[in-house]
Amino acid sequence: MIVTGLLLGSAASAQTTLTVISHDSFEVDKALVAAFEKANATRVRFVKGGDAGELLNRLILTRRAPLADVVYGLDNSLLPRARAAGVLDAYRSPALKAVPATYRMDEANGTTLLNTVDYGIVAFNFDRAWFQKVGLALPKTLDDLKNPAYAKLTVVPSPATSSPGLAFLLASVNQYGEAGAWNWWRTVRAGGMKVTRGWSDAYYKEFTRNGGKFPIVLSYASSPAAEVFYAEGFSAAKLPQQSPTGNLLLPGSTFLQLEGVGVLKGAKQPGLARKFVDFMLSGGVQADLPTRLWIYPAVAGTPLNPVFKFAEQPKPTPIKPALLANPQRLVDGWVTNVLRR
Amino acid sequence: MARLTTFLLALLPLTFMALLLALPLGRTLAEGGVNLGVWRDPYFVGRLGWTLGQALGTAAVALAVGGPLAYLLSRWNVPGRAVFLRFLLLPFVTPTLVAVLGLTALLGPQGWITRLTGIDLSDGPGLLLLGNLFFNLPVMIRLAHAGFSRVPPHLIGAARSLGASGWKAAWTVALPLALPGLAAGFILVFLYSALSFGLPLTLGGERYSTLEVEIYTLTAYQLRLPEASALIVGQLLLTGAATWAYVALTRGGAGISGRGLVPARGGTRAVIWTLMGGVSLICFGPLLAVVARSLISTSGPSLTAWQAVLSNPETWTLVGNTLRFGVLALFGAVLLGGLHALAAWRARGPISRVLDGLSLLPLMVSPVSLAVGYLLAYPALSATLPMLIGAYTLLGMPLVTRSLLPALRALPPRTLEAARTLGAGSYTVWRTVTFPLTLPALRGGAALALATVLGEFGATLVLTRPEWATLSTGLYDRLGRPGERNLTEACALATLLLVLAVLAFTLLDGGEGEVT
Repeated sequence: MIVTGLLLGSAASAQTTLTVISHDSFEVDKALVAAFEKANATRVRFVKGGDAGELLNRLILTRRAPLADVVYGLDNSLLPRARAAGVLDAYRSPALKAVPATYRMDEANGTTLLNTVDYGIVAFNFDRAWFQKVGLALPKTLDDLKNPAYAKLTVVPSPATSSPGLAFLLASVNQYGEAGAWNWWRTVRAGGMKVTRGWSDAYYKEFTRNGGKFPIVLSYASSPAAEVFYAEGFSAAKLPQQSPTGNLLLPGSTFLQLEGVGVLKGAKQPGLARKFVDFMLSGGVQADLPTRLWIYPAVAGTPLNPVFKFAEQPKPTPIKPALLANPQRLVDGWVTNVLRR
Repeated sequence: MARLTTFLLALLPLTFMALLLALPLGRTLAEGGVNLGVWRDPYFVGRLGWTLGQALGTAAVALAVGGPLAYLLSRWNVPGRAVFLRFLLLPFVTPTLVAVLGLTALLGPQGWITRLTGIDLSDGPGLLLLGNLFFNLPVMIRLAHAGFSRVPPHLIGAARSLGASGWKAAWTVALPLALPGLAAGFILVFLYSALSFGLPLTLGGERYSTLEVEIYTLTAYQLRLPEASALIVGQLLLTGAATWAYVALTRGGAGISGRGLVPARGGTRAVIWTLMGGVSLICFGPLLAVVARSLISTSGPSLTAWQAVLSNPETWTLVGNTLRFGVLALFGAVLLGGLHALAAWRARGPISRVLDGLSLLPLMVSPVSLAVGYLLAYPALSATLPMLIGAYTLLGMPLVTRSLLPALRALPPRTLEAARTLGAGSYTVWRTVTFPLTLPALRGGAALALATVLGEFGATLVLTRPEWATLSTGLYDRLGRPGERNLTEACALATLLLVLAVLAFTLLDGGEGEVT
């Protein structure tokens, strides 16, 4: 009987399995996944691989025996390393046509390794109530933050250990050049800016809204919308006047983060992996992702939840492509010139 | 014959540790080689100094506060004593981020205590050291309590009748006899604080990061394995030396655990309550703050978070997974840790000491480097359930061994011999004498192992799958998104985890189980 059971078990699992690896925050509507499974007569297994940076390192370490068939969550700052390490196979989804050219990755290279699924904008947020109570004007430029009066109000996750931190480092080098950026960071740190390890520490420990003492925090442009969405008694029918937090879009401080999906080199199911890439760019998934991951859908014309009106959508300054070629070198530079000085 | 039995007993736990610990660690070290040049960098030498400093400081404070309290609790009874000892295990299950949230709610820049006193600890290492004490005072108290409990009361009584004062008797009779237990506690607290990861990661910022945090940064973010490996090797030497001292100190085992508590009166009772109050403030204060935070929103007291958590079917999946993984890992830990303790107890001389020391290995090795080793050594198993349960088992094992081994060593040899001479076979001796006498220690160890697994954030060791979400990963998920509801719901999930832990302790352990 046991043998029969085992045979039945193996017969039932004879259908194919597609393994999708992603960063820890990824989540998608189960009904959509079930429809994909049914349409392709396959089972989808999701694996979480840490945050985006950790995820890429794990893919590099295991490139001889790939952990999955398809990867979601690598972004434009990680793409050059992924390309150099050769962990991805080229695949350009036909659905990419519906993604505006500014949001596509790899356009200059000719071969597409990552198909943009969504984008987020790394940006400063501020605590409205705090600034109202103190009656202080908001800073207007990155240079204003050099003033200790503002520097000591600011908390930023570290570029060496967090992806929003790295994004902001790239923005600052883009704005000031390398030497100028080290100077900016050193001045602001000396003025009292706090650097935390990760985003949660900055947002849930140091931000005034959550019990800290820094009313300016580096987060995402969509965070004020999330604050409204997750406020007590939220209902889409009666939205409040204002979010408790606001975007602080200092010129040159924002960074456009493009998140993509791609096929892993050595995938056991390359055909299905490609179908999954297309699936991530399909209408259902595009409409579902924004209020789950707090990002913007890449496909033009995808409807957005009305709560996103609380998030300003800045036009991020274009980052010089040379900076994206080897971000790790800049992180090392930041560690030696800023952190350990 | 006896040797063969010992060998067979040790075979399973040692094979398991070879596969889940030695091999992956070796794989990590081999992957990039070891670049010892990193030790010439003053930055890393400084990190080593700080790692040692904060661990020694924590151990010293824990000894100064926990030692006297443990002595008093081993001799006198006060109302609330049993509940206090049982709840003292709660910090073990607490996920780091929950402890951090609690500490911040009390002592952060806008913390409840900070606003009352005006003292702000958040910029220095103060919160990190308090966090270390939160997790380690219980270890110290329970170890020292076990040490003092084994001091025969009649020896102290004799000193008293010869004219010694209570303090003098404690200082000249009880202290020397309990010294190995106290020293062992000191070293274990030192080891835990030196190797802790989550706490310095979140509370240390960039200025107070420890070696383990640097290993993590070099490995997970920068992929500089040769440098990370050099730090791993340095850390192993350090923890190896501490472990060696620990094994040498605890080798003696102990006498009989003497009960017979006298109700405390007057001054003694006041001293005990004062110390218990101080420890409670450090060990339970942050937990109460988290519970309170789940009930208070910015607009005032509110049950919304609880309504949302309790009505969400996902919550019950989280509870179910937490229990399922906990119980599976508990079986593994009790089986392997128990066999290991039996083998170390039966073996004699240096072999016993080696086995004893090896049982501490899972506590000595950096989890970050193990995680990389698993990927390299077992890529095909990396996101499978056996790997997850195996990793959990590895975490729980040493706690079972550490609890069981001293109890086995404390078994009076004459009782076993008497049973033998009365004709009992070795199995009968085991069933009727050894097992019942060591059961409390086994239950204590099991409770601790379960607690560790319940609160563990699995993703630190293995790649996880969304369907494996537990209470601790569920609350980490919520803390990964902005918004007040996420914060209060995370606090509600943390409270559920604590309730589950109290239930588990009540079931598994009377609260007096020993940790060594």
